[in-house]
Amino acid sequence: MIGELLGILLILFGIFWVALGLIWAIAYPTLLIWGLVFSGKNLDEMIANTVERETEIISKNGKDLLSNIDGGYRKDVKSSGIVWAGAVYGPSHWHLLRGFLNNIVGGSVDIFQKVISAGRAESMQRLREVAINEGWDEVINVRIDTSPMTPASQKKGLKAVEVFAYGTGIKYS
Amino acid sequence: MVEQIQGIIVVNTETIPGKLITESFGVVSGSTVRAKNIGRDITQGLKNIMGGELHKYTELLEESRKEAMSRMVSDAMARGANAIVNVRFATSAVTTGAAELFAYGTAVKIE
Repeated sequence: MIGELLGILLILFGIFWVALGLIWAIAYPTLLIWGLVFSGKNLDEMIANTVERETEIISKNGKDLLSNIDGGYRKDVKSSGIVWAGAVYGPSHWHLLRGFLNNIVGGSVDIFQKVISAGRAESMQRLREVAINEGWDEVINVRIDTSPMTPASQKKGLKAVEVFAYGTGIKYS
Repeated sequence: MVEQIQGIIVVNTETIPGKLITESFGVVSGSTVRAKNIGRDITQGLKNIMGGELHKYTELLEESRKEAMSRMVSDAMARGANAIVNVRFATSAVTTGAAELFAYGTAVKIE
């Protein structure tokens, strides 16, 4: 009785993995081609969108909100508090393939540089937006951290980095 | 405005502009390891093939960081501090889909 039950469970488990494998076999090439066609355009759109919001906020404020100096010299600060923003970004697998080919000949791997700096610009822009929403006049002592989502020791897994920006928001009296 | 979390001022500068630090209570820290469910991991893995932002993981790290922060704040409150200065964040990937978030700073008393 228990043996039969175990057998059925084993078969169901097998069917589940086969189904997952079949879906993967269809989905992966489809998504890779999707990435080949659209990821470059999407990246350019994202960069254009970030630059647009950035120029809008900077022109409204007259200057950039963020600076990475310590504001200890200021005497007219009423209140202060931490403010942060972050985002997880990854290159598409088509970009990874291009990066791999680029690695063979060496030199600068422009495509990764483009993806990560786009992510960084977006995170900084989010920090500006968060600071404005929370009512801060300026953000001092800004730090930017970049960390991989998958440990370096692991070959497989998500190919993405987290860009995290934080600083101290200050409000003038 | 979230200038204060449970009555404690948290900043990442060495001093608090306009305030005087009178006493230091040492390093306080808070950490957390969180993961999304396997369904999210699969959908985010598929999204990763196409590239771009992975919104669910952005959300995950946001939540985890809040948790690490609130643990750090309660550590500082237990020591009787009323502010935390020079806060730093550290992230380390434990495995795909799980991340350890660590926040640390110096608990101080201000006037």
